[in-house]
Parts: sequence; structure tokens; C-alpha cells
Amino acid sequence: MAKIRTRTFFRKGVWEENPVFRQILGICSALAVTNLMTNTLIMGLGLIFVTAMSSATVSALRKITPERTRMMVQVLIIASYVMMVDIFLKAYLPDISEALGPYVGLIITNCIIMGRCEGFARNNPVWPAFLDGVASGVGYALVLLVIATVRELLGFGTLFGMHVMPSGWVPWTIMIMAPAGFFMLALFIWVAYELEYKKTQPSHGDK
Amino acid sequence: MKGRLFSTLYMFLLSLVFTSVVSGLNVIHQDRIRLNEERKRQALVLHVLNITLEPHATDQDVSRTFSRRVRAATLGDRPLYVGLDADASTVVGYAFPVSGPGFWGPIEAMVAVDPQGQRILGIAFYRHSETPGLGGRITENWFQRQFQGRPLDMPAAGMRFFYFKPPGTASGPSELDAITGATETTKRLEKFLDEELKKTIPLLLEQKKLQRV
Amino acid sequence: MENPLSAPLIFFASIFTNNILLANFLGMCSFLAISREIPSAVGLGLAVTFVMTCTTALNYLVYHYLLVPFQLVHFRFIAFIVVIAAFVQLVEMVIDRYSPRLYVVLGVFLPLITVNCAILGVCLFMVIRQYNFVQSVAYGFGGGLGWLLAIVALAGIREKLKKAPIPKALEGPGISLIVAGLMALSFMAFSGMISMG
Repeated sequence: MAKIRTRTFFRKGVWEENPVFRQILGICSALAVTNLMTNTLIMGLGLIFVTAMSSATVSALRKITPERTRMMVQVLIIASYVMMVDIFLKAYLPDISEALGPYVGLIITNCIIMGRCEGFARNNPVWPAFLDGVASGVGYALVLLVIATVRELLGFGTLFGMHVMPSGWVPWTIMIMAPAGFFMLALFIWVAYELEYKKTQPSHGDK
Repeated sequence: MKGRLFSTLYMFLLSLVFTSVVSGLNVIHQDRIRLNEERKRQALVLHVLNITLEPHATDQDVSRTFSRRVRAATLGDRPLYVGLDADASTVVGYAFPVSGPGFWGPIEAMVAVDPQGQRILGIAFYRHSETPGLGGRITENWFQRQFQGRPLDMPAAGMRFFYFKPPGTASGPSELDAITGATETTKRLEKFLDEELKKTIPLLLEQKKLQRV
Repeated sequence: MENPLSAPLIFFASIFTNNILLANFLGMCSFLAISREIPSAVGLGLAVTFVMTCTTALNYLVYHYLLVPFQLVHFRFIAFIVVIAAFVQLVEMVIDRYSPRLYVVLGVFLPLITVNCAILGVCLFMVIRQYNFVQSVAYGFGGGLGWLLAIVALAGIREKLKKAPIPKALEGPGISLIVAGLMALSFMAFSGMISMG
């Protein structure tokens, strides 16, 4: 029983309700770091941690949290976990912490986390809430990694910092700059929806 | 009324719990974070002095090499790192931090010069807020490598140590390739590098004369 | 160390060449959600500008006169977000009290603003770039206007696109992102006017 449920969560989080291209959430704090895969991976892991732990905590406190303080409590919980991530990065991955700069702090305002707390964790037990958070975070991290792979490969000629392009390769500087971030995400959404239409005839309009 | 009191109390307690946990974590990791910064600086100093480490050197290796091959001194109010050769007897170079305003924020760099203070051994820009793909490219290898071996003779009055020229037009020992599209960053970099070197190089030579370093 | 950029230059650069949305991707969620019609885009943009200007000033004071002296810098994330949330609440109450009509127009957006990453982003950037008070406020005001400019431009383009034959899979967010990318490209061209670094 539990196994099937877990799988459902992941199918939902990664594909059916993937936060990035289904709900267009949380891309703010994310696109900026997608010109390098290593940074994106760490950012994604940090986000999975914060989403899962915040969901679990909000869920654990759901019966005693007064309605009027709900938003404040959520902000407090999310910000605390983000600060933990920030401290861990500074302590164990100093280079990446330096590279991510202010974007770690911006995980706080990532709509995905608040969205999962509001939309799911608030009315569900701790374990499902935790799984839901992990699944949403994973879905998010995967989209970012795909975009980062293309941007780093074409923009630097590397993957995870290792040279893979032939030596005559001229890097596309535009790929590491902002416009490419928008274009890549748009392409990603286009492909994802295209695949979806091939499978089914959906009924969603302009979101 | 009772509800409001409970809400306030609840919020207060929760804040207390969470801030305590975060503060606790911070205290636990404080030393480690400081050590990281220390190690980073050590690796940087070794790098600009061209003291090579084994491939896959661990943090401990960096610290060990640093303590064997580098002696700390001061240059006025800034630290000076004296690089030594493998048997720790002869000086192979001097490294010191320089910093100045970039376009978006401060740029910090580590510079190493040869024992006579006549040539640049290496330079590394390690902290900046410049635009990725433009000014942010000052950290790229091709840009930093151009400085190696450049002469440090005092420029004539009104002249600078180095000038950045549009890529491909640089000629002569004092001209370097600028970064395309990052006019402002390179302009400011040219200015503060010049000011910092004019401050530090005479000071270094004077200290050498007095046999202090 | 003082940041040498003059406040007017920061102001213009943060509107054009370093637009918080088009160069740093901040504030994307509401940018995509509220850009279907020009009027609501203008309303949200103005509200963001106002909140951003005031919160950079407030957070500057909080950071330099509270967090730094008491060595609580690692609490800056929570301090900034609490200041932003509290300020938005205050604005909400004031508007509700004095101008119910404005409240009807802006009321919907106010909760959105608290979790708008552009506002927290501007506060974090000003600390990292070591701006002084005047520079910070100029940056907050310019950042807000830049965001307003971007969202109104996108809304205008999207209104025009309503009749365009767009591939079904690109409708909505997809095409908006492509438009935003093109806008980011064109905003980079402003660097001829304000050189970039």
C-alpha cells in the first residue's frame, strides 16, 4: 500500500503536476543558477530538503497552529530551514556557497514551498506531506538540471566543469547569459506539452 | 481575546525554538566555516605563487604545503605571504591581496610577484559581483594568465602599470586584452589595480631593502 | 569599502541593463501569472515598486543598525522577509482604511508581493554589493520600476498575441517565456547607453 502511494507522489511531483512546467512556480530563484550544472544540482538538493522538511513541519503543527498566524508560521519555518541549508553549504561546500551567493536565500520566496505547505501539508499527516515535498522538489530539480545541462554544454563546453566539447569549440556566450535561461525553459515547456498532447487530448487552457 | 493571546504566545515560542536551533547550528559550524575561509585563502596564495600541489590534493595537503612553503608577514596594513622553495630557504615570490571597486561591487584579488618585485607571477580574482558572461569573466583562466610575467617597473608620471585594450589589439608588455562588452569592469579594474600596485610595490621593495621580508 | 557607483547610475542600470527580472529572473511567478492584461500588470507593478523602495530602506536600517552590531548577520534572511511581510500587512491595513476603492484594485496583489522574490532579492543584493543608504534606495526604486516596465511590456505583447496563431503546446507560459527572453536580449542592448560590467 505505502509503496504504491510513494510512487504516486513521485509520478505526480515529477510529471503530472511538476511544479515548474505545470504550475509555473518557483522558477524565480532557480533560473539564475542554471548556467552551471554543479550549482544547479546543489540548489536542487537544497530545495528538496527545504520543501520536504517545511511540509513535514507545517503538517506536524497543523492541529495547533492558529489560523491567523498560519502564513507567518510558514514563513518562519521555511526561512529557518533555508538558513540551515545556508550554514551547511558554508561549512561543507564553501565554493558552491560562494557561487550561489544570494540565491540560496531566495529559496525562501520560492513559491513551490509555500504552495506545497498551503495546498497539501496543511491538511495532511506528516509522512505524506514529507513525501509530497520531496517529490515536488525532485520534479523541480530535474527540470533545472536538464536546462543547466544544455546551457553549460553550449555556454562553457563543459559538463559538471569537465571539458567534453572538442578543442575547436567556440562557447556560445549567450547561453550563460539571462536570455538563454528564458528560451531554454520555454523550449522545455514546449517539448513537455507536445509529448503530453501526443498522449492525450488535455483540457487545460491558458494558465 | 484568549485566541489572540495564544496566537502571540505560540508565534513567540515557535520563533524561539527555530532561532535557537539555527543559532545552535551556526555556533557548531562557526569554526569550520572560518577554517574553510582560511583554506580557501591558502589555496589561493599557493596558486598565485605557482606552488603546485599534487593532483587531488586534500584540504590537509593544502594546509601542510602552505605551512611548509609560505611564511606570513605584513606589508603596511595588509598581509603579505612570502613563498619559499621546496627546502624552505630561498624566497620564490611574494603574494598579497588587493581589492577595489568593480562595476557592481567590490572585486578582490590575490597578486603574486617575483622575489625582486619586478614581475608578476600570477593573479587570481576571487570575489566579485560582476555580470555573468561579461565582467564575470575576469575569473576565467585566459584573462588571469595574461598577467603572468608582466614587468612591474614603475610607470612614468601619469602612466599606468597596465592598460586593457580591445581583444587582439594589445601589444607591448603593459597592454592586455580586455573583455568584450565589459568596458566598465575592465576600466575600473585597470584603475584600482594600478592604484594598489603603486601602493604595494614600493612598500615591498623598501621592506626588502631593510631585510624585513 | 564604499561602492563607487553613483546612485543615479545604479537607478538607471537597475531599470535597463540589469533589470531585476530580465537579468536575474527574479519575480517570475507573478510576472507570468499577472501579465494577461495591462491594467492589472500596471497595478501590481506599481505596488511592487512602492513596497520595494520602502523595504530596501527599512532593511538597510535593520541590517546595518541591528544585525551587524549584534552579530546576527546569518539571520538576515528571516529578518528581511519579516520586515517585508510586516510592511505589506501595514500597507494593506492603511489602504483598506483610507481607500476602499484602491483596496479592491490592489488587494488581490498584496499577499502576492510578500512572496515576490524580486523584493527579497533586491534586499539581499544590496547587502552583497555593499551599497550605502542612498544607493540602496536608488536600487530598490529602480529595481521596482524596471520590474514594472518589464511586466507592462509583457502584458502589452500578450494582449497582441491573443489573436496570433501560436502552437498549442506553447500557449500561455511557453510563449510568455520566449517573449521575456527576447525582451531580455533587447534590454541587453541598452548597455550601449549605460555601459555594462
